[in-house]
Amino acid sequence: MTRTVRIILSSPLSITGVLLIGFVVLSAVFADLVTPFPEHSGTVVDFAKLNQPPQWPNIMGTDLVGRDLFSRIIFAYRISLVLGVVVLVLAVPTGVTIGLVAGYLGGWPRFVLMRTTDVFLSIPPLVLAMSIMGVLEPTLMNGMIAVTVMWWPWYSRLVYNIVLAEREEGYVLAAEIIGASRLHIMFREILPNCFPAIITKMTLDLGFVILIASSLSFLGLGVQPPTPDLGSMVAEGAKYLPDSWWLTVFPGLAILIAVFGFNLLGDALRDILGNEQ
Amino acid sequence: MTRMALEISDLRLSFEGITETTEVLHGISLSVAPEERVALVGESGSGKSVTARAVLGLLQSQKRVRMSGRIEFEGQDLAAMTSRQRQALRGSRLSMIFQDPVSSLNPVYRIQTQFHEVLKRDDPSISLEDAKRRIRPMLSEVSIAEPDRVLESFPFQLSGGMNQRVMIAMALINEPSLLIADEPGTALDVTVQDQTLRLMRRLVERRRAAVLFISHNLGIVREFSDRIYVIHTGRIVEEGPTDAVFANPGHPYTRALLAAVPRITGGDIPEIDENPSAYEAPRVVHAPAAGVA
Repeated sequence: MTRTVRIILSSPLSITGVLLIGFVVLSAVFADLVTPFPEHSGTVVDFAKLNQPPQWPNIMGTDLVGRDLFSRIIFAYRISLVLGVVVLVLAVPTGVTIGLVAGYLGGWPRFVLMRTTDVFLSIPPLVLAMSIMGVLEPTLMNGMIAVTVMWWPWYSRLVYNIVLAEREEGYVLAAEIIGASRLHIMFREILPNCFPAIITKMTLDLGFVILIASSLSFLGLGVQPPTPDLGSMVAEGAKYLPDSWWLTVFPGLAILIAVFGFNLLGDALRDILGNEQ
Repeated sequence: MTRMALEISDLRLSFEGITETTEVLHGISLSVAPEERVALVGESGSGKSVTARAVLGLLQSQKRVRMSGRIEFEGQDLAAMTSRQRQALRGSRLSMIFQDPVSSLNPVYRIQTQFHEVLKRDDPSISLEDAKRRIRPMLSEVSIAEPDRVLESFPFQLSGGMNQRVMIAMALINEPSLLIADEPGTALDVTVQDQTLRLMRRLVERRRAAVLFISHNLGIVREFSDRIYVIHTGRIVEEGPTDAVFANPGHPYTRALLAAVPRITGGDIPEIDENPSAYEAPRVVHAPAAGVA
C-alpha cells in the first residue's frame, strides 16, 4: 500500500490523474449534493435565463432552455461512468474468457474464437457501434450493448497474447502434471497472471468508452434528451458556435478531463502493477 | 519377481511434421523397481525429457505424436487407462520435480496456497489449517527452518534453493511411489544443487519412493543413482548398476560421455563427434550386482 502511494506521489502525472478521476467520480456520485441545480438534469425550462454566458450562479452558463450547464455536466458524468462501467463489466469477462480459452487450448477453438475476434476487429469500431445503434432504438441500454459488442475483441486479443507466453511457464506444466483440470489451469493458474494487464487496460478504456459513447450521442445515436449526455450537449451547442461558445466548450472540456484523467491513472496503474515482482 | 514401479518396453515415439515425421525414440526399454533410484543419462536432445513426458502421459493427447510400446506403472498399462485415470495418478502416485524451481511455482499465489492445492489432489476436502499442519514437518524435513514464513511467502520472495526445496517437499508430500526428476537444480549453482540432491536422496529413501532421475551430469548421477541407463539419439546404449558402468563403460558413447566430464585440473573439453558410426554399436548390458534381484 505504501508502495502504491509512493509511486503515485513520485510522478506529477499520476497525481494529476488521481485528482482528475477523484473529482469526476466523486462529483458524479454526489451529483445531487454538489450541483447548484440538481433538478436541471431533467426537463426544466427557465425563460428568464435562456442561453446565458457564464456568470454567478451559473458558472458555466445556461443552455437553450435556461438549464444550468455545470449541473448538467456533472449529471452527464454520472451517466457516462455508469455506461463505462457496465460496458466493461460485460465486455471484459467475455473477451478475457475467449482469449484464455483460445490461447490455452489452441487447435480449432483457437481458430474459431480468434478468427471471430478478427472479424469484429476488422470493422471500424464507431461504424460497428453506429450500425447497431441504427438498427436498435437509441437508448442508454442499447448504447451499452453496442459499445460492448465492439469492445470485447480487444480483451480477447490482449489475453490471448499473454496466455501464449504464460502457458510455456513451468508452473503451467507443473499444474498439468499434478493433474489439474484444464478449467483450473486456465482460470486459477494463468488468469491471475493476466490481471495486471487487464486492470491497466480497463482503466485506460474507461476513458475511451466515455469518448466513444459521446461520439455516438454526438451523432444522435446515443442517449436521448432530456437525459444529460456530454456528446449530445456538444452536438447541440455546435450549432450555436461561436456566439454561444460555452455550450460546446464546457461539455467538451468535461470529456477531455475524464478521458485524460483515466489515461493518466491507467499509466500510473501500469507502473504500480507492472513492477510488482 | 516383484512388480516394477515403472516398466517401459519398446517405446517408440515420433512427431509428425507437415511433410515428414521425425522419430525421436527408437524403442526405449527400461524399468524402475520399487524404491530404486534409476538415472537416465544423455546429452541434450537424446530423448530424456520426452521419455519423462510420455511416462506422465502428457504426450498421448497430442495430435502430432505417434507412440507405440508399453508403459506400465505399478503393473497397469498407461495406454489402457482413460485420461481421467491417468490424471488421478499424477500428483498422487506419480510426481515430478523440474529443472527450474522458480518458474515451476505460480508467481501469483503464496506457497501455502500451492501446497494446499497439491494436498487436495489426495484429499479434496482438506482445509488450509490441516494442510499447514501436514506441510510444516515436511518443510523441516527439507531443512526449511521457518516454515511459517516460507508458507506466507510468494515464490519470488524466496531464493532459488529455497524454491527447489519447496518443490521437493511438494513433490513428495503425497507419498508418490514414483518420482520423476527432470534435471533438478540445473538452474541452481553447484553448491546449492549438491545440497538439494542430498536432501532429495534422504527424503526419497525415507519415503520409500522410486526415482527416475533424468540428467546430463554424470557426477550427480554417480552420487545419486543405483542404476544407470545411457541414452543416445533415442536409443538406450548402455545399462547397468552405477558402479559397473563407471568402472567399466562398455559402449563407445558412454566412454565419450565420461571423457567429457570437466575436470577441475583444467584442460580442454574433449571433442565428441556428433554422430560417429561407433555410437551405433549394440547395447551394452552390465550384469546386475550380486544381491540385487
